[in-house]
Amino acid sequence: MGIEGQYPLLFLIWLAPFAGAIVIWALGPKLKSWSGPIGCAAIGVSFVATLASWADAVRSGPAGATTVVGAHQTMVTWIKGFALGLLWDPLTLVWTLIITGVGFLIHFYSMGYMHGDRGYPRFFAYMNFFVFAMLTLVLADNFVVLLVGWGLVGLASFFLIGFWFERPSAVAAATKAFVMNVVGDVGILFAIFILVAVVGSVSFADAFAGVQAHAYNGQLLFIACAALFVGCAAKSAQVPLHSWLPDAMEGPTPVSALIHAATMVTAGVYLIARCWPMWQGSADARELVGVIGGLTALLGAILGIGQWDIKRILAYSTMSQIGYMIMGVGVGAYDGGVLHFFTHAFFKAQLFLTAGIVIHALHNEQDVRRMGGLRAREPFAFWSMLVATLSICGFPPLAGFFSKDAVVYETLVKGHPVLYAIGVLTAGITAYYMFRMVFITFFGTYRGEIDPSSLGIRHPELAGTSAGLLKHPHDEAAPHEEHAPAWLMTAPVAVLFVGTIFAGFLDLGGTNSFWYGLLQPVFGATIAPVEGAAPFSELASSALVFIVVLAGIGLAYLRYGSTAALRDSVARLRNESIRMFPLLTNAFYFDAAIDALFVRPSRAFGTFFGVVVDPLVIDGAVREARVSALWLGHLFRSFQTGLVRAYALTIVFGAAAFIVYYAVVGAH
Amino acid sequence: MSVALANYIALSAVIFMIGAAGVVLRRNPLVMLMAIELMWNAANLAFVAYARASMNNAGHIFAFLVITVAAAEAAIGLAIVVIVFRRAEFVDVDEVSVLKG
Amino acid sequence: MILFWFLALAVVASAVFVVTAKRPVYSVVGLLANFAALAIMYLTLSAEFLAVIQIIVYSGAILMLFLFVIALLSSGVRPFSVGPDRLPRVLVPLSLFGIVALGGLLFVIALNPSAAGTSNASGAPLGPPGQANVFGSVADFGKVLFTTYLLPFEATAFILMIAVIGVIALAGDVDPIPPKARRRK
Repeated sequence: MGIEGQYPLLFLIWLAPFAGAIVIWALGPKLKSWSGPIGCAAIGVSFVATLASWADAVRSGPAGATTVVGAHQTMVTWIKGFALGLLWDPLTLVWTLIITGVGFLIHFYSMGYMHGDRGYPRFFAYMNFFVFAMLTLVLADNFVVLLVGWGLVGLASFFLIGFWFERPSAVAAATKAFVMNVVGDVGILFAIFILVAVVGSVSFADAFAGVQAHAYNGQLLFIACAALFVGCAAKSAQVPLHSWLPDAMEGPTPVSALIHAATMVTAGVYLIARCWPMWQGSADARELVGVIGGLTALLGAILGIGQWDIKRILAYSTMSQIGYMIMGVGVGAYDGGVLHFFTHAFFKAQLFLTAGIVIHALHNEQDVRRMGGLRAREPFAFWSMLVATLSICGFPPLAGFFSKDAVVYETLVKGHPVLYAIGVLTAGITAYYMFRMVFITFFGTYRGEIDPSSLGIRHPELAGTSAGLLKHPHDEAAPHEEHAPAWLMTAPVAVLFVGTIFAGFLDLGGTNSFWYGLLQPVFGATIAPVEGAAPFSELASSALVFIVVLAGIGLAYLRYGSTAALRDSVARLRNESIRMFPLLTNAFYFDAAIDALFVRPSRAFGTFFGVVVDPLVIDGAVREARVSALWLGHLFRSFQTGLVRAYALTIVFGAAAFIVYYAVVGAH
Repeated sequence: MSVALANYIALSAVIFMIGAAGVVLRRNPLVMLMAIELMWNAANLAFVAYARASMNNAGHIFAFLVITVAAAEAAIGLAIVVIVFRRAEFVDVDEVSVLKG
Repeated sequence: MILFWFLALAVVASAVFVVTAKRPVYSVVGLLANFAALAIMYLTLSAEFLAVIQIIVYSGAILMLFLFVIALLSSGVRPFSVGPDRLPRVLVPLSLFGIVALGGLLFVIALNPSAAGTSNASGAPLGPPGQANVFGSVADFGKVLFTTYLLPFEATAFILMIAVIGVIALAGDVDPIPPKARRRK
């Protein structure tokens, strides 16, 4: 995989964010407000180097070896036969572009959003570290380095979600995310065990060559894929390991944008796309991934309906969209899944950053019930949110339309009508809950001055509303008059408009499209269009999806956007809050189930050890050792008479024993 | 060799036994030390007798080394006796039992 | 032959006297007789150098040391009074066993005298003492001592030096705990 050679720029891409993190970490207190620009510059350097290395990634190998594409550099040989290196092919290129490009915009935005926060330098150190970890993940040419990056991403997310560590809820969310991610790490670890056992190597190339050579016996390939998918599910918030994602909203908003749009949650999509030959070799694995992806897409969308926190709405929408991607790569539509990742990065970053602008403007109010009528107050945010929402709903000709339709239609082409139905249905639900958010937030009148209880907010301090945020560390450190210039936050969002609107055009033109040309060398014939596999054409499918989306928007308009709905919005919102299905407010009881199935038994197990095993067995053994040492001491003490002659006699006795021995046995 | 080797060895053993008995039975440290000297000499006698029997110089050398070490032992033993006596003014080894456990 | 039995009798008698004498001075005298008899016995065994050493080092140096210590300890302070030399009761069977074992050794040796071996290892012939290349001569002894056994010889020198240092450290003037303080305790 990749043309062997020396590529110093790859190291620049890879290590520039790391250097930034180290510098800011070490010198943060000295740098103060300079740490922001330095952090941005580190990512910017990485991005520029990515662009400069573009040609290396798409270069094909010598004629005949069509699968060799991109660049590969060996770094070190770990153990004999286990060489570690960097891989730079179109797939990595796509991810690196997003990680560094969108990552750069988010860093830039953070300079405004985090302005005046006490942990300002720390924040940029973590962010740079996060980008570095993600780059490690995508640049690896083997599973071990990938796992290192995978774990570092989890660690970085722990830092960032728990950034405001004064808040217990943030710490809890960070811990939850970390623990769930470690579950995934273990899954990947087991996959590596299987690979080493089967092909004796950890590099991608050898693992995939093993698939070609049918080196995997029976179900081993499926088990390896499933183990890898456990990692994907944990990192990409797939059912049932998704519940850390909504909680991760405890982090600052740029963190949410970075985790959701550019990094982390898309790592699972990357892993499956990277290991496509393995999935290609196991139909069962594809089935599993497709079904889980579809389920997650649907579940995330349904849960998105019942949320009131603007960031949680977006979190569930991310979960749902990642479900789409996983479903896409799962059924074998690798280019579609990757394209959806590509476009999603733009519009999801825009959604989050815009939400951040709103939250910032309302002094950390996150409950949409206490917003409303912001269209006039924040026109830029309104237009930005509207365009991004249309894009995520798949409204032609915005970016989301192309990618989502590609994924949905491909499920049909690959022969999964049920998944197709789920995809279409989810598109409608997505449109509904996204426009619900837009209508509640930007239309009608401002409800921030209304008593929270009349809006149905039962526990303001628990619901994350301003009453509970009086002690918000962000507030303490940053009195409002010290806000940074607004353009710091609006400029990156403005740049993201381009991607949100136009990114989909890359896929225009079927096999002649830029996107197909870019990824075809990676995926080969598996993504070649198949004629006549689906009962109807892609155009018809797009029309169907479009109709469903329009229906969703219409329903949202009727319930939240129409004149009648806006007039008595307070009462309606109160009604809805109180009568919300418990199933939705409790997120289908996933947390409760995990608690009952894993947390409680392991806690009981720990209690058992703490109450029974530790004091009785371990402490008991120690106690017994002490008692027996004491007893032995008493025994031997009696030998020490202190009488010189007794000692002498003992020696004589010993000598006599020797003599008797030799007299009896003989000295031969 | 007119006298059988066994006679020398038997004599050596007898002296050794007398010395050992002296060490164990007497309570005067000086006499104990002298008894130890007796034991050294018993060993020396055995060495010399064996050397003569096997016509090998090594036994002589060893006996010589034993004499040297015996000298060192006697010097240190006497020094210990002297300081014990100076401190406590008794010459009964059974009273010197500070090390009793 | 007669000389051996005479010497053996003298050695055993003086040894018994050493152990049983009432006063240490008598013990020293007994020891002196014992050593002298042993020296003669060494001569009969062709160990002329050892015989001389026995007289000079043992009788001349070590026994003098004993005498000095006896003189030092019994001058000015209370006379030696050695009580009954009884063993702790527990040790009686042990000592019995030891004596029986030593008796067993005698028995074994008397049973097969050839066990000791009489092979002629060194090529040197027996002859009148005092000349080189005769077994047990001082010349041979010295040659072997300073060639083959040089390292043990140096080691004993080292041991002697340590003994001297140790004695100085033990019996020197520096007394960390004065006798009075100790007695008060």
